[in-house]
Amino acid sequence: MLYHRFRHSGNSVLRYLLAVLAVLASSWAGAQDTRTIHTAYGDISVSGKPERIVTLYEGALDAAIALGRKPLGAVVTRGGKSTAEYIQPLAGDISIVGTPAEYNLEAIVGLNPDIILASSQLNKDQYRLLSQIAPTIVPDAAPFTADTWKQETRLFAAALGLSEAGESVIRKVEERIREVAAVVDATLSPEQRQASLVRWMPQGPLIMSTGLFSATLLEAAGFRMDDSGSVKAGRPHSNPLSLENLQLIDKHWLFLATLNADGQEALTAARRSPAFERLQASQENRVITVNGQLWTSASGPIAAEAILDELHTVLTSGQLQP
Amino acid sequence: MTIKARYISLWLLLALASTLSLVLGAGTSGIGDAFAVLAGQGNEEARFMVTELRLPRLLIGLVSGLALGVSGALLQTLTRNPLAEPGMLGVSAGSAFAVALAILMGASTATLTTLVAQTGALAGCVLVLAATRIGGVGQDPVRLVLAGATLTGLLLSLTSLLMLIDQRAADEIRFWVTGSIAGKRWDQLTATLPSMALATALVLWVVRPLASLALGEKVASGLGHRPDVIRLMVILAVALLVGGATALAGPLVFVGLVVPFAARALGGADIRKTLWFCLPIGPTVIVAADTLSRLMVKPSELPLGVITALIGAPVLMVIVRSRRIPTL
Repeated sequence: MLYHRFRHSGNSVLRYLLAVLAVLASSWAGAQDTRTIHTAYGDISVSGKPERIVTLYEGALDAAIALGRKPLGAVVTRGGKSTAEYIQPLAGDISIVGTPAEYNLEAIVGLNPDIILASSQLNKDQYRLLSQIAPTIVPDAAPFTADTWKQETRLFAAALGLSEAGESVIRKVEERIREVAAVVDATLSPEQRQASLVRWMPQGPLIMSTGLFSATLLEAAGFRMDDSGSVKAGRPHSNPLSLENLQLIDKHWLFLATLNADGQEALTAARRSPAFERLQASQENRVITVNGQLWTSASGPIAAEAILDELHTVLTSGQLQP
Repeated sequence: MTIKARYISLWLLLALASTLSLVLGAGTSGIGDAFAVLAGQGNEEARFMVTELRLPRLLIGLVSGLALGVSGALLQTLTRNPLAEPGMLGVSAGSAFAVALAILMGASTATLTTLVAQTGALAGCVLVLAATRIGGVGQDPVRLVLAGATLTGLLLSLTSLLMLIDQRAADEIRFWVTGSIAGKRWDQLTATLPSMALATALVLWVVRPLASLALGEKVASGLGHRPDVIRLMVILAVALLVGGATALAGPLVFVGLVVPFAARALGGADIRKTLWFCLPIGPTVIVAADTLSRLMVKPSELPLGVITALIGAPVLMVIVRSRRIPTL
């Protein structure tokens, strides 16, 4: 509309002035703070501190909130209807714009974002569409390594112009890891630190990758995570295991989740299977039920603290004897 | 080979398949250990594997194989269509939709699931029979199957819709809809047994009148049978059988097609002979397919429904491609 009016008025001087103004304004903002962000789909310049944030990845929502921001939109947690329970009180009244795999582009456009924070799994076609809405930050960190969440948090922090806050958030988690590791050292002998992390599904148990976020935290805290070589590289978990091979999950500790928020339900479901009852870990009461949304879907600094808190409680409550 | 010799060898084949299903699996425990268990010895680990994991699967495979084979033969005779099969005509899909609905509502007891599955199957059967009354559909075997495929498609998309409502139930529904007899519990098997017994009684009672109906309505009436009652009884039996099998193993397609097809090829087209031949063939197909599903992607397993579809699809093509589809 505006453009039309200018064209018909034929006022080229005004147009020229406006263009000059625009260039000046952008260079002023740039002088203030323009950063180049290295993403999986090339370098992106971002300036200032983007306010209107949409996150398409649980780790991005977590990081943004940890950095003191309140994203406008987010995707649901795996198998859920809303964001993961652990982050809901912090995320507040947030718009849901899709699932981890599918986004509602119209809902995203409707939020009019300054920046979109996505997962490293975002594919090129989705990227092409999203980057037309707003600068879209796709981490190029290799998935499923111990440092993935830190690299992602740093990248999201840089994109939001909050790099310093990012470093301090990461330091805080590292501090907490050391605290919990000290408790592990004090309570468990080296032979008692073997553990597996399993998501119990109707078609059989999935062994979660040792590179999965919560597994790397357990490892950092002193546990020795073991997926029995059943998880292919780059995958978050194994294929559903045959019940005949349940001994593969039978480590000293068995962290058991479903996508239900309630870990206890996971245990009830698993206990229906006689094969589960035979496991050493089950017979000796070393099955630790955990919230699957937090332990097998989430990532980020706040999730890290929540997981470490749960772990700390388990280790110190004495409800489970090593 | 005489028909009798063929028949006996089919039962021997079933015995072989059953034995293999007890000794072969995705587990690490050896075949030798499993045989030792069958001989009444063997270590504790192997005994658990055979008696707690594989035996229930075998029994469920036997029951659902019997049910699907027999119901296929009944449905084919009733509709005079060799392609009529519970899986393809939407009977299984109706049953599956009903169970998906029940899972979504939070039903977890085996008895309720069986009942719901049978109700869904009954609705599917009634729709099939209604479709055969529509001009042209009943006479043309392929058109009836097309009508069934449409119904199946509709019901499957409705089932997908249910899965969108609740992701958590979706996992359970998805697993169940693919078809599997792994990890089922004894109570799921026992919950279907009363209705299976009732269905058996119905089949025994209806098989002679049904054979006469196959010769034509006038012949049946002339022999003192009432065609509508016969149809009703057959449909009830099919619904009980398919619903029971679906509650146990999920909606397995093609089994009801392959089994009577083989039975007719080996034993002849008379429904009484076909049914006798279906008895060993149905369980053999399911039990063999299930054993195969455990061996292909160790340490995981393939869904049983995938294997039965792989076996059944070529058979369907052979029947349809043969120059003339025989009307029964």
